This record gives sequence, C-alpha cells and structure tokens, in this order.
Amino acid sequence: MSSPIRKMRNIFRLALTDYFYEWQISSCFILALAAVLAPMMILFALKFGIIGSMMEQLIEDPRNREIRPVGSGHYDPAWFRTVRAKPEVAFVIPRTRSLAATMQLKSSSAPRIIPTELIPTAAGEPLFHNNITVPTGLRQIVLSEPAARKLKVGVGDRVDGSLNRRHNGQSERVHVELTVVGITPLAAFARDGAFVPLDLVVATEDFLDGRAVPPLGWQGDPPLADERSFPGFRLYASTIDQVAALRDGLAASGIEVRTRAADIDIVQTMEQRLSAVFWFVAIIGLTGFSLSLGANLWANVDRKKRELSVLRLVGFRTSDIVWFPVLQALLTGVLGWLLASLIYLGVEASINRMLITQAEDDSPICRLLPIHFEIALAFTVGAAVLAAALGGFRAARIQPSDGLREI
Amino acid sequence: MLIYHLRDLVMTRMAEGVEFRLTVPSLQISLGEKIALIGHSGCGKSTLLDILAMILRPTGVGAFRFRPEKEAPPLDVAKAWSQRDLNFMGDLRKHRIGYVMQTGGMLPYLTVRDNINLSRQLLGMPDDGSVEELAKNLGIERHLGKHPELLSTGERQRVAIGRALAHHPSIVIADEPTASLDPIAARRIMALFVELVEEMQITVIIASHDWGHIKQLGLRRLAHRTSQNSAGTVTETRVTG
Repeated sequence: MSSPIRKMRNIFRLALTDYFYEWQISSCFILALAAVLAPMMILFALKFGIIGSMMEQLIEDPRNREIRPVGSGHYDPAWFRTVRAKPEVAFVIPRTRSLAATMQLKSSSAPRIIPTELIPTAAGEPLFHNNITVPTGLRQIVLSEPAARKLKVGVGDRVDGSLNRRHNGQSERVHVELTVVGITPLAAFARDGAFVPLDLVVATEDFLDGRAVPPLGWQGDPPLADERSFPGFRLYASTIDQVAALRDGLAASGIEVRTRAADIDIVQTMEQRLSAVFWFVAIIGLTGFSLSLGANLWANVDRKKRELSVLRLVGFRTSDIVWFPVLQALLTGVLGWLLASLIYLGVEASINRMLITQAEDDSPICRLLPIHFEIALAFTVGAAVLAAALGGFRAARIQPSDGLREI
Repeated sequence: MLIYHLRDLVMTRMAEGVEFRLTVPSLQISLGEKIALIGHSGCGKSTLLDILAMILRPTGVGAFRFRPEKEAPPLDVAKAWSQRDLNFMGDLRKHRIGYVMQTGGMLPYLTVRDNINLSRQLLGMPDDGSVEELAKNLGIERHLGKHPELLSTGERQRVAIGRALAHHPSIVIADEPTASLDPIAARRIMALFVELVEEMQITVIIASHDWGHIKQLGLRRLAHRTSQNSAGTVTETRVTG
C-alpha cells in the first residue's frame, strides 16, 4: 500500500499545480479576500490608534492621577503616614505655604535672577521619568525645562539660590549653592520650577518665617518646638481608575480636592462608545467577510466537482479529496492576508502622514501591533479552511459517478 | 477463474416520474475476457459500468465478488458497499481498475504526461519509460508536454486510454470511449485500444451503442433486454452474461 508521505506529496503537488495553472481565478479569489480584509484592518487600526493613544496619554500623564487640595488645611505627619499606607496612593508629600516656597535662582551663565517655585519631591516622584535623579540632601535640585533654559544651565552645573526676608526691621539675604542633578521635560512642568527635597522647602519656609536653619548656617529665631503640620500636599493615585475613589474618600473625611476625574470620565466613556461602534461595524464586516470568503470557496469546490471526481476515480480516498480545497483555501487565505497587509501598510503610511500634525504627540493615528496581523491571519485562514473543508466534505460525500457525468 | 461474479443486483433511479430499473440476475466475467455491452443511450449501460468500476453503489445486491488476482481469494464488494467502506473501493480502483470516460476526464492543469502518469504516481511506480512507450503506441508522444486543452477530442481519448492502462490494472472499463469521434477515427482508436489490452493481458469491458464498430474485434457481447410496463412508469433493463 502507498506510504502516507508519498500520498501527501502527491496531494500537495496536484493542489498547487491546479492553483497556479488557474492563476487568474486564484488571483481573483486573493483580490476578493484582500478587498474585504484590508478595510477591516484599517478600521481597526484607526480605532486602536486613536483610542489607544488617547488612553495611553491619559494613563501615562501623571497629572491625570494628581489630586490637589482646595484651599489650605492642617495635615500632620500621622495623616501623611495613613495616606501613604493606602494601596491606591502612589505618591504623597507635604507642601508648605506656596508664598513661602519661592527661591531666587541665579547662574553664572545667565544675567537674570529667576524667582522659582519650589516643589517638594522624594523617591517615587511621578513627574520624573527617563531616569531623572531624585535630589537628596539640602544642596541638590532638579529644574523644570523653562527654568533651566532661562538660567542657561545643564545637569551638573551649579546655581545660586537666595532668599530674602525682613527680620526685626532688617532686610536679610542668605545664599545656598545648589547642584543641578536633573531637568524635567516641558510636558512634566511648564512653569519655572525646582524640585527639591522636602527638607530644603521646609528650611526655606523656616527662614522666611524668621527662624534659624542651623544645617545651612542661617541665623534667626529658634526652630519650632512642636510637631509641624503642613497646609497642603502633593498626592498621586496609583492608577487613573483609582482617582475617583480616592477623591471620594478624601471628601468623606472633609477634605475638598480637585482632580481630572471628569476628563478621565469623558475619555473613558468615549472609549466605550467608540469601541461599541467599532465592534458593531466590525461584526457586520466580519460576517460579510466570512460569508463572502465561504461562498467563494464553497462555489469553487462546486466548480471543481468533476476534477475532484476524476481524482476519486483514479483512487484518491475521501479523506484525501478534502485536502485539495483545504490546501488551496489555505493558500488563498495566506496570500489574501499578505495582500491585505500590504494594502493596509500603504494606507497606514498615508493616513499617518496626512494626519500626524493634528495628533497631539508622536503616537500615530492609525496603527496595528504585530499581534493584530497574526490574529487577522489566524481568523482568515481559519474561516477559509473551514469553508473549503465543508465544501470538500460535500464534494467527497457524493458518489464519484455523479460528479463525473455532470457535463 | 472469474474476475466479476454478480448475482441479483438491482439499481433503481427516478427521473421525471419514470422509474429506471437495472437488474442483473447473474453476471460472470472471466479474467482476461473482452466484453462488449451494446445498447442505445439511456438503457443503463453507464450505470452498470459505474457499478462494476465501484464508483456507484447499487440499490440492492445478492452477491458482488471481485477477484483481480489469480493468487488471491475473491473480494466481497457487496459487503464493502453495505459498510460504506469508500476507502476500500478507492484503493481497489487505484490498484486494479482503469476507467475510460466518454469524454475527457482529464485534469486540465496537468500535462499529458502527468495525466497518463497520474495513477502510476499515486501508486509510487517507478518512472521506467512505460508512459512514453504507451504514448508512442497511442500515437501521442509529441503531445506529452502539452496540456489537454490543446488537444483534439480524439487525442484526448487516446490520453484517457493511456491513463487507464498506465498502471497495469486488472480490468479496464470504457464507457463509449469513441462516441464523440468521427466513425473513421472511432474505429481506429477502438482497434488500437483492444489491441493494447490484449497485448497487456488486461480484462476489458467496453460499452458502445454501435455493435458494428466492434464486432470484428472479437468481444463477447452481453445480452440485455429493455422493457417498459404498460403505464410507462417503469423502464427495466435486464443484463445477463
């Protein structure tokens, strides 16, 4: 009896010979498939690109996770410890009075003195990414991009920080030499700002309030005896989804806060609606796609009934016969997918070139990940093989003599 | 030594309110015999040939035994049909049976050489020049590299004969192999066909509507009688031999 390998080789050879001999019809099948698949891919890529980049911005931008107190309060270290312990809190640090959190900065390379807002920071700073060093001690500073630009300094340079107060009827000025250990991008902080350790912010407030700061050698009244409480805080939720819950929790304890929860809501609602619209269109499209592919391949098996009967006449088994339409459908599926992908890539390039200026940043409006191409291939090949196998089984079930005498 | 042994075979078909019934009370064909089945079209010749070629399942059968080899015991085809063992039938066709159709039956995407070689290839038979030899005997060796669509009807029938014989089957069944040809070509190809099967010692069954074409070729003619009932609702053909 025949070996299975030889049999499969024969089936492959015959199916491929037929497919390429009829290259015009085969091309039509491939074109028909690509004509339905390519628009589906473009539609999905637009949905994925637009919604995806919106969601990404939403998630990636730490400002969307920020929770700001309205007005000032009294927050003691115990309160900060409690809040910090909550799992939905990514980062929390005290803020001093904003009027007492400004320092005049000057560098040797720029003529102007820049009044700069001091922002307390610590390890885990959400506005830092791309490996910005977190400043420590009393003499390290991370500048915002506008401040660094005005001061004409880079990482490693030194700037002179100075404070001025009226104390006991006298004007007093102190200086502290600060090393720039990092510069935040414009997107993170757009004003003249300096991220410094909490200790320096507290020292600044103490000095401006007339008190002494021994570690920096600043003279004045003795330091505060009792535990310090802060009028404000910088608070960031772990994820955007936790912002609303955190806000409600703070509101329940009498702390009024401001968040971007409304913006997040809008985008999330829009994402849901656009997704629904997409799936609506996609299901209609996919149904049409499967039906057209199935009808084509089914009709093709019918067309080839006589040839399949001839193959059975010369001794191919029923199970072998099914392989012919299946192999050919597999080829149509793969080549059609390849063509659709090429069409898609062309369209993607032009859409992105046309619309890139309208996009907020560099993330493209129309894009697919490799996994999406793989899913499209699996779906196409699956549907094609299924349709062809059903047609093939039907062709194999009829008696060979019926197919032979049809003309 | 019988290659075919059939008893009480019935095949019925309905067409336009008329029942066509083929009955074979008894049919015995010896190994190496040359059989002619003569009758006008529509009398059931093709049906009987398809049954003998195991590509059509009879409605009812008392016994259907097929013995393609002297050395082996007869095979029970009736049992295989009742068990719907289509692969058994497929394997028998592949090894033992050659079939020449009224027209074509060629795969359009294969060259003449590959069409003739198809059954040999399926069986893994070696490329020993027998395809070329056969093509030469059939007078089509210059067409070996062409596709069937470029051939005339007569040339295609020669290719069909070549394919039916190439794998040295035990039996070749031909259904009006020359009906689509002009009488002169028909006689020439029929004579060539019978000469080839004699030379290769292959049993042959040829259906034809014209006894005149083949009576001088020394074939045994199967007797058959077609009758119609008075109401005209049943047409019955009885074949014995």
